[in-house]
Amino acid sequence: MGFKYDKHNKYHRFGRSCLITAVSLFVLMWVWWLTSMIIQRSLDLNVSPLATPQDSFAALFELMKNGDPMEHRSLWSWVWSSLSKFIRGFILALVIALPVGLLMGNFKLVREFLTPWVEVVRPIAPIAWAPILVIIFQATNGSIMVVFIGIFFPLLTNIVFGVQKIDSTLIDAAKTLGASDGQIFLKVLVPSTVPYLMNGIKVGLGVGWMCIVAAELYNTSLSGIGYFVKFMIDNSSYDYAFAGIIIIAILGLLTTGVAEYVSKVVSRRMGVDA
Amino acid sequence: MSEPKIKIEGEKWGKQRTRADRTDELYAHIPEGETLMKIENLRVVYRTDDKETVAVDDFTIDIKKGELVSIIGPSGCGKTTILRSIAGLLQPTSGTIMIGDNEIKGPGSDRGMVFQDFALFPWRTVKQNVQFGMEMAGVPKEEREERAMRYIKAVGLERFADSRIHELSGGMKQRVGIARALVMHPAVTLMDEPFGALDAQTRNIMQEQLVKIITHSERTILFVTHSVDEALYLSDRVVILTKRPSTIHTVVEVPWDRPRDRTNPEFTKLRKDILAYLEDQNVMDN
Repeated sequence: MGFKYDKHNKYHRFGRSCLITAVSLFVLMWVWWLTSMIIQRSLDLNVSPLATPQDSFAALFELMKNGDPMEHRSLWSWVWSSLSKFIRGFILALVIALPVGLLMGNFKLVREFLTPWVEVVRPIAPIAWAPILVIIFQATNGSIMVVFIGIFFPLLTNIVFGVQKIDSTLIDAAKTLGASDGQIFLKVLVPSTVPYLMNGIKVGLGVGWMCIVAAELYNTSLSGIGYFVKFMIDNSSYDYAFAGIIIIAILGLLTTGVAEYVSKVVSRRMGVDA
Repeated sequence: MSEPKIKIEGEKWGKQRTRADRTDELYAHIPEGETLMKIENLRVVYRTDDKETVAVDDFTIDIKKGELVSIIGPSGCGKTTILRSIAGLLQPTSGTIMIGDNEIKGPGSDRGMVFQDFALFPWRTVKQNVQFGMEMAGVPKEEREERAMRYIKAVGLERFADSRIHELSGGMKQRVGIARALVMHPAVTLMDEPFGALDAQTRNIMQEQLVKIITHSERTILFVTHSVDEALYLSDRVVILTKRPSTIHTVVEVPWDRPRDRTNPEFTKLRKDILAYLEDQNVMDN
């Protein structure tokens, strides 16, 4: 054997991690298949509720080619209805968490007053609100509200933390350079909070994506990838259900990956973590 | 030259915020060598729940225009407290600080400050940091750029004007800090152990550079340090403080022109005398 692994060679390192990932995924598929078989045997069913990887991927390709088997709606239309709710929930959370977080971080009285509210509501799983919110706001807006709750708290706590963590000598420096309180807020406090905000977004997006899928299981709007999964399970089309679950996983990975990357770039731009 | 628009807002302490560019013009009528800043009976008491600590007591001094005065004393003796009181970042328990006819009641751009840990804005480039004060005072963009570049050149950082702060060494960072303070033409510049975080060699280079920048520039500087050598190399007068509560122990006049020669026997003798004197009085630690 002429090949020798060199840990200082970046191509070797890359090859190694690719190989390990490939083996890991292969083993995962095998475990998945095995579990599926065990479940089918033990429940003595014709089709396993845990669809096998082959069936799931076959359904996924069918879904991409011809849309869903009932209404022939395209995969993208299912995904987009989830994504659009997700994005709206995220924007709503950002728009509210940003000013509230800055106020809470900046003014002790506001912080002292609002902290009990936050601490009481925050530990409640966002999805626990779904049945109520769907009744109050209807299916679509109810799901948006669930996403909002899921994203809001990580954002808020990170912003408040960021404002409180600010280096006080930066504020002193701004004062000796003649900055007014308003200018200190806009030109010192806000920019120094940005890396923490990005961290909040990173955490919030992960939580939010879980929320949207879960919220759609409750809703009656007949839209969204979460509803797709529920609908397929109700019709015993487990292969399609798992195709949906694969899509959820990929989109979740993409969301957090993008957030991670943007957060890194922005934090570096703001002079943090260098 | 336009009349500087100095804004003194509010009578209550801390509500005052001097916000203007070129505040030194406000005191143009005071000739060089005359008293610019008067500090009288400054006293600062820190209160915690169970005790009071007198950090500074009965500190009185006149600072003349165009003069560089060093304040030196044992660490933790209240040098920084004095400087922060003058900067308006800390309210003294009693006593008055006057610049010309204006009583200090809060922070402002008429007292520029250079911080020991630089206090640069990490999300801004070198140039943007130097422009910060002018931006706050509403100086037009072109003038801002031109003046910032002039000072960046003066501190020898023109190649780094667009660099970010984390790309700079400690010495370079403090040069940005100095440029950022001086570009505003404050009436008084306060320097809080500006070279304290730097290694000995960089420190010497920075001292030489500071001398170059301030010679013939009519700057009035109050410089806190714990190095006798640095104080003697830079200042017209050295104020020696006692241990806490800090009060003035003695004021030494330094007669020589700058740049000074540290190996000059008179220089080394004065340094030795001050060190011996401090040790004698048990003023300095260790």
